[in-house]
Amino acid sequence: MSEANGNDDRKKHRVHFDRHTPEYRHEFEEITHELQAKCPIAWTDTHGGHWVASGNREVFELARSAEFLSNDHDVKGERRGYKGITIPTPPRAAEAQGGFLEMDPPAQRHYRQALNPYLSPAAVARWVPFVDEVVRACLDEKIEEGRIDFVDDLANIVPAVLTLAMMGIPLKDWTVYNEPAHASVYTPPDSPDMPRVAELSRNMGISLYMALQEIRRSPRPGLIDALVRAEIDGENPPDEELVGVLALLIGGGFDTTTALTAHALEWLSQNPTERDRLSRERSTLLDSATEEFLRFYAPAPGDGRTISADCEIAGQRFEEGERLWLSWAMANRDPSVFPDPDRVDLARKGNRHSSFGLGIHRCIGSNVARTVFKRMVTAVLDRMPDYRCDAEGTVHYETIGIIQGMRHLPATFTPGERLGPSLDETLQTLQRACDEQRLAEPVVRTARADTAR
Amino acid sequence: MKVRVDPERCQGHTLCWMTAPKSFQLDEVDGHSSAVSEDVPADQEEDVREAAHSCPERAIQIF
Ligand code: SF4
Repeated sequence: MSEANGNDDRKKHRVHFDRHTPEYRHEFEEITHELQAKCPIAWTDTHGGHWVASGNREVFELARSAEFLSNDHDVKGERRGYKGITIPTPPRAAEAQGGFLEMDPPAQRHYRQALNPYLSPAAVARWVPFVDEVVRACLDEKIEEGRIDFVDDLANIVPAVLTLAMMGIPLKDWTVYNEPAHASVYTPPDSPDMPRVAELSRNMGISLYMALQEIRRSPRPGLIDALVRAEIDGENPPDEELVGVLALLIGGGFDTTTALTAHALEWLSQNPTERDRLSRERSTLLDSATEEFLRFYAPAPGDGRTISADCEIAGQRFEEGERLWLSWAMANRDPSVFPDPDRVDLARKGNRHSSFGLGIHRCIGSNVARTVFKRMVTAVLDRMPDYRCDAEGTVHYETIGIIQGMRHLPATFTPGERLGPSLDETLQTLQRACDEQRLAEPVVRTARADTAR
Repeated sequence: MKVRVDPERCQGHTLCWMTAPKSFQLDEVDGHSSAVSEDVPADQEEDVREAAHSCPERAIQIF
């Protein structure tokens, strides 16, 4: 009895919160501000019961309390049976660990150390000419027609091709990975299309496994090469674990940047004066506008955690084993940190948003995402400056429980001239460049940086 | 004014460098930040303050 009372007391802020419903997407701002005002950390009974953190300070403090939180997804029940970062655990994902995002240190840290030299700002800067060529070819395919679908014809392709290039997978295979990477996110578990999507995902897993085998046999530079050589906790992990890491890189590299770019292009179409201003003042405005779109549209709206020891954080007592949802998207709308939080202000200052997550699990690909986003958006502003999105044909993801994304964003614009060869031909040329110039090599620390540290 | 980046807190978000490129440098390999010099030149003070305010991990200490 006293136990039950104690529980009730701890969970006195009870709400009904279900981020997998369409209502959560449609009423996101109302729900966010109500939660923040009444209970920035609340308990909900949905999805097996879990905590929801929506206040900026609370999310910040929780995300940084690595000693009390676990990301572990213990698929085989070898440790404490924790369920990783997805709430609820989807039946399919129960079969596989989501790479190092569903691991704790030290293994998680070893993986990041192995991959950082491919993803640092200095490493990513080397890819800019490559990205520009892919963007150019994508826009060329549509420029004479005066019609484009910014999702299908641009924002799906560029992040996919770059991710594969950085991994060391043949560029032409982007179509193999494209549909499963997006469809597995936007297809609800009860959809009649789910068996087909699950099949696509399985095939993707097999392709990744084969890519791993091939690079073990005949090494080529890239993220996969880094993984087959990596020492994690003193040994090279089994292939099964590495395939989980590769799937994480695909998931992180594909759908999120697509989502951000599509939302930004849609907003700029609805706000043409701001679009012209961004184009004109891009040298000073592009960085802050990128961060603002990240804050506002948070492509990955949150992450789950498991409490790994009884503790008190941000004034709330937690018990070992409880599940917790950290909402980056809601923390980004906290008026105590962001004045006028539901407005897009392209010049916003002090924009300490959490769209890449916070703490030790922060997105490892943020530099890739920012670079690809900026190159796509500025190319559209240059070549299709008067584009107008067609609201009728626009398809948002029905729910934003996993990714706040878009399936289609058709637009029309004044036609222009092609500037170069087709996408297929461009990918062949770029494939040769990858092979001959070994573009996917990691950066190495120069003497100057060593002494500076 | 002096500035320091707490290496334990910094996760390499790079916002400080975007805001005050003259005062912060990013490690080439892991993207983590450090101050170019602990003493902030007078003409950089405003940018450095803004950078500290932008850091999502609150890793930048001004003293
Ligand atoms: S903004 Fe903060 S976390 Fe990011 S690099 Fe600078 S100091 Fe590090």
